[in-house]
Amino acid sequence: MKTVKAGPYLTAAGLFALMAAAPFVIKPYHLNMLTEIIIFALYAVSYNLLLGYAGLLSFGHAMFFGMGAFSVAVGLIHIPGLGLGEVILLALAVATLTGLAAGLLLLRHKGSYFALLTLAFNALFYAVATKWHEITGGDDGLSITRPDLNLGFTSLPMASLENFYYFTLVVVGLIILFCWYFTKTAMGQSVLMMRENEERMKFLGYNTNVNRLILFTFTGALAGVAGAFYTLHFQFCSQSAISIDMTTTVLLMTFVGGTGTFMGPVLGAFVFIILQNYLSDITDRWPLFMGLIFIFMVLFVPGGLSQLAGKIKDLVVGKKEGAAALSAQGGNHE
Amino acid sequence: MNEYLVFFLHGLAYAGLLFLISSGLTLVFGMMNVLNFAHATMYMLGAYFSYTLLQYTDNFWLSVVVCPLLLFVIGALIERVFLRRVHVYGHLHELLITFGLAYVITEGVKWIWGNYPLAMTIGGLLGETVEILGTAYPVYRIFIFLCAVLVGVIMALILYKTRLGIILRAAVNDSEMVNALGVNVPRVFTGVFAFGAALSGFAGVIAGPLLTTYPGMANDILIDAFVVIVVGGFGSLGGAVVASLLIGELQSFGVLLFPRLSVALVYLLMAAVLIIKPSGLFGEEQ
Repeated sequence: MKTVKAGPYLTAAGLFALMAAAPFVIKPYHLNMLTEIIIFALYAVSYNLLLGYAGLLSFGHAMFFGMGAFSVAVGLIHIPGLGLGEVILLALAVATLTGLAAGLLLLRHKGSYFALLTLAFNALFYAVATKWHEITGGDDGLSITRPDLNLGFTSLPMASLENFYYFTLVVVGLIILFCWYFTKTAMGQSVLMMRENEERMKFLGYNTNVNRLILFTFTGALAGVAGAFYTLHFQFCSQSAISIDMTTTVLLMTFVGGTGTFMGPVLGAFVFIILQNYLSDITDRWPLFMGLIFIFMVLFVPGGLSQLAGKIKDLVVGKKEGAAALSAQGGNHE
Repeated sequence: MNEYLVFFLHGLAYAGLLFLISSGLTLVFGMMNVLNFAHATMYMLGAYFSYTLLQYTDNFWLSVVVCPLLLFVIGALIERVFLRRVHVYGHLHELLITFGLAYVITEGVKWIWGNYPLAMTIGGLLGETVEILGTAYPVYRIFIFLCAVLVGVIMALILYKTRLGIILRAAVNDSEMVNALGVNVPRVFTGVFAFGAALSGFAGVIAGPLLTTYPGMANDILIDAFVVIVVGGFGSLGGAVVASLLIGELQSFGVLLFPRLSVALVYLLMAAVLIIKPSGLFGEEQ
């Protein structure tokens, strides 16, 4: 194993500091958007652990996101006195179990077959969410109020936008940092190697099926937490949280940002949410433009924005280092 | 008793549509190893083209001929312009490009035709009802089923009785070897892809008057078509026939017998097949 350098931690700390200062500088409308970006960044990072790192193209990531989202809404409505921390843990538990169960059934297949099955499974979850009106609210959705954060000695009111922003920044930010750390662990590295040469990993004595199941469950759990924060942020949850569109969203974010680097999907979430907000002001047809951007990226910039950024950096700095690091970390060229 | 007959016939009509869509999907997958997410959008485009054509000409038979031809061209273009370009990046990118195309086409349809259902009516003999065992039944649904049977028979004849069929079946098994034997396999791929798009478009033309035409129709039937090829087995035409019938009837009787469970029945069948025989009923173990 390589020794972990201090550089990335300094970058992360700098980013945290910058984000922590944001409420003093930007308007509430933009703070709302920034909260959404943080939540979707986690969702996209979890998706990229599957797509970029493990090479698994799933069209069913929304089922974990949606299970997390609905766990929060249903939990807050049906279990009185549930705290903020508990309800997030509940969502985490539900999403983890869903990930484990789905993984056991779906991971027997690979490639296109896996993609198709995940889509069909997601459709099943969506159908249940739509039809089971008593629990999920069907087309009407569920409205909730964010519970306050109980810190033991004091209680932090979550009705305040700033407080919720800071709560999201700290919790989700730390989880994203943990994901980054995960990619550097032996487990995380073995996932990369599995994508490159699974036969060889098997010969080396790794149980690749178990590794893949662990990764799949892990990403499901992460998406569930993102879903939980989504419901808490909007104080509302409907079947759209578990729909194919929610998978499309994360696929677009991840791919546009770039599957080759860890920060690509974070960049993707940032660009996507901002584009979505501004394009939807200009035109009702913004999904069409997002789709066209996506096709353009798949055709001409398969490494996403982070690949572009790397190329620009090379041009400016004149080094080949950026490109080499990108392909080593897993630009999606199989 | 008559109720069961009616629902059985309903099931046959839906099975017919499913077969028209999934047969192209499964052939393309078997041959090119591309899971075409844009396949059902060809079905949707078929329905919308037909709607527009009917508004101007009011001739249903004209759109039965013209719309599939248009989709043949569109299919060929998609294969040539998009799929072939990303082929070098591998299957993941091929899948992503068809997914992106499906997304853009669906949004484009919403833009051009509006995000609401459009109804078509069919006049003449097809709009009538016929008496079957004492029950009046719409001719149109029987027409759909017969179309599917006709197409199925023609496809089987081509695949098993002609030289082209031998090439196609060989390409499903080992396209590289066929290429080495002097067949222009890329051209065969374009042809098959375009033919699949045309079939799907044809299904759309005949489905329009029955199921109404709306922007979500592609996604709705795509999932069912996916289930058909999972249950029937990838690349198997016979599997597509059996699975289409199975799922058509399951959808139909599900609504009659277990209305609350009906949406989940198809997926339960799929899950059962996955657990018992993961390669599908007629699929080969890989």
